[in-house]
Amino acid sequence: MSFTAMDLHSPDTASLLKVYGIGDAEIETLHAWKAHLEGGGFERVVADFYTWLQRQPEYEEFIDNPETERRLRRLQTTHLVSLVSGEFDDRYFSNRTRVGEVHARIGLPLHSYHGAMNHLCLCMLRQLPPDVDPLGATVTLLRVLHLDTALVALAYSRYANDRVAAQSKALLEMSTPVTEIWRGVLLLPIVGIIDSGRAQDIMTGALTKISSSRARVFIMDISGVAVVDTAVANYLIKVTRATRLMGCECIVSGVSPAIAETIVELGIDVGTIVTTGTLMQALVLAFDRVGLSVEQSGRAG
Amino acid sequence: MKRSRWRVATEADVHLIVAESYKALEALGARPVQAAKFTTAVSELARNILKYADRGYIEFVELVEDNRVGMRAEVTDKGPGIADIELALADSYSSSGTLGLGLPGVRRLAHRFEIESEVGKGTRVLIEMWVR
Ligand SMILES: Nc1ncnc2c1ncn2[C@@H]1O[C@H](COP(=O)(O)OP(=O)(O)O)[C@@H](O)[C@H]1O
Ligand SMILES: [Mg+2]
Repeated sequence: MSFTAMDLHSPDTASLLKVYGIGDAEIETLHAWKAHLEGGGFERVVADFYTWLQRQPEYEEFIDNPETERRLRRLQTTHLVSLVSGEFDDRYFSNRTRVGEVHARIGLPLHSYHGAMNHLCLCMLRQLPPDVDPLGATVTLLRVLHLDTALVALAYSRYANDRVAAQSKALLEMSTPVTEIWRGVLLLPIVGIIDSGRAQDIMTGALTKISSSRARVFIMDISGVAVVDTAVANYLIKVTRATRLMGCECIVSGVSPAIAETIVELGIDVGTIVTTGTLMQALVLAFDRVGLSVEQSGRAG
Repeated sequence: MKRSRWRVATEADVHLIVAESYKALEALGARPVQAAKFTTAVSELARNILKYADRGYIEFVELVEDNRVGMRAEVTDKGPGIADIELALADSYSSSGTLGLGLPGVRRLAHRFEIESEVGKGTRVLIEMWVR
C-alpha cells in the first residue's frame, strides 16, 4: 500500500511555510532580529531562558550535570541563530525532527517542551529590535516558533506511532506458538486479530512443525478470535488445505455460536473442514485419529 | 446521539476499528452474536477500503429510538467506485480473486444495508444493526 498513516503527517517544506504564513516579508523581519541579536544578544536570550528553565521541575530530571547544560546552551544558541536566519531548508527540517526524536526518546512530555518554547518566545520578545513594527515582528516570531514546535510535535507523534507498531508486531510474532501436545498432535491457539501477515506466520509455523514432528493432527483453536470475516475464513481454509496436503488433518476448534452464525450468513462454504465448538471436543477427535482413548483412571474425581 | 469517525488507511486502523466496534456494541447491550455480526460487517467494509480504495472513513452513530437501540456505520471512500453494483453484490464475484462474499455477506448480516457508488468518485455503504 502506498498510502500510510505517516504520509498524512509529513507535509513538504514549501506547503508548511505556506500554512504558517512565512514568506519574504517575514524572512526580512527575521533578518532584522538577527542583526539586532548579533554580538551578545543571542547569549542574553539564552541566559534569560535558562534562568526560567532552572526553576522548572523538569530541569533537574533531564539536565543532570553542568556539562549537559553547557552543551544544550550552545545548541540553543545555534538554533536561535538558524531560526532568525530564515533558512528553512531540508537541513533545518531534519534538524528539528531529530530534536523532536531526542526529546521524545528521553520521555520529556510534549507540554513541557511546548511550555519551554512558549517561554523562549517571551525571552525573544524582551530583545525586540528597535526599528521594527513591534506587532509585525511579534507575529513573525510566533509564526516561526509555531512552525518550529509543530515539527518537533510531529516527530513526537511519529516516535509514538513507531513504538506502538513495533510493540504490536513483536506481540503478534510471539503469539503463534505451535506446540506438540501429544505425539502426533499439534495445537495452535490463536488469540486476537488475524491479518495477512499473521496468517502467513501461522501457515509457515504450522507447516514447519508438521514436517519436523510428522504430526497427524493439527488443532487450530480460534476461541480467542473475536471476528472471522471472509479474509480470515479464507486464511483458515488455506491452512487446512495445506496441512492436509502434508498428510495432516486440521481441526478448527473454538468456533463459538456467534462466529458459526456469522460465517453462515457470510455464505462461506467451509467444505470438508472439521470444526468443533470446544477445544475438548477437538482433543477427543485428535486422540481418536492417532489411536488413543482417554479414560477415567478411577483414582480421581 | 453519539458519533465517532475513524480514518481507514492501514491494517492497524482496521484492527483498532474492529476492536472499538465490538466494544461499542457490547456497551449497547448487544448479544455476542449481534456484536460478532456487526463487527464482521464493519471489518469487511474496512478491508474493502484498503483493498480497493486505499483509504477512507468509517463513522459510527448510536441509534436511539423510543423502544430500541442500535448502531449505524457509514463507510465512505473516494476510491475508484464500483461500475456494476449488482455484480459486486452477487455471491462469489470478486475482481481480486478473493472469496467475493464481503458485500453480499454484509447485506445479509445487517438489518439495513445501503450502497451508493460512482465510478471515479467513490463508494458509500451504510449498515445498521438493532440490538434491543
Ligand atoms: N470500496 C470499494 N471500492 C471499489 N470497489 C469495491 C469496493 N468494495 C468492493 N468493491 C468491488 O466489489 C467486489 C466484491 O467485493 P466483496 O464482496 O467484498 O468481495 P472481495 O473483496 O472478496 O472481492 C470487489 O471485488 C471489488 O471489485
Ligand atoms: Mg471484500
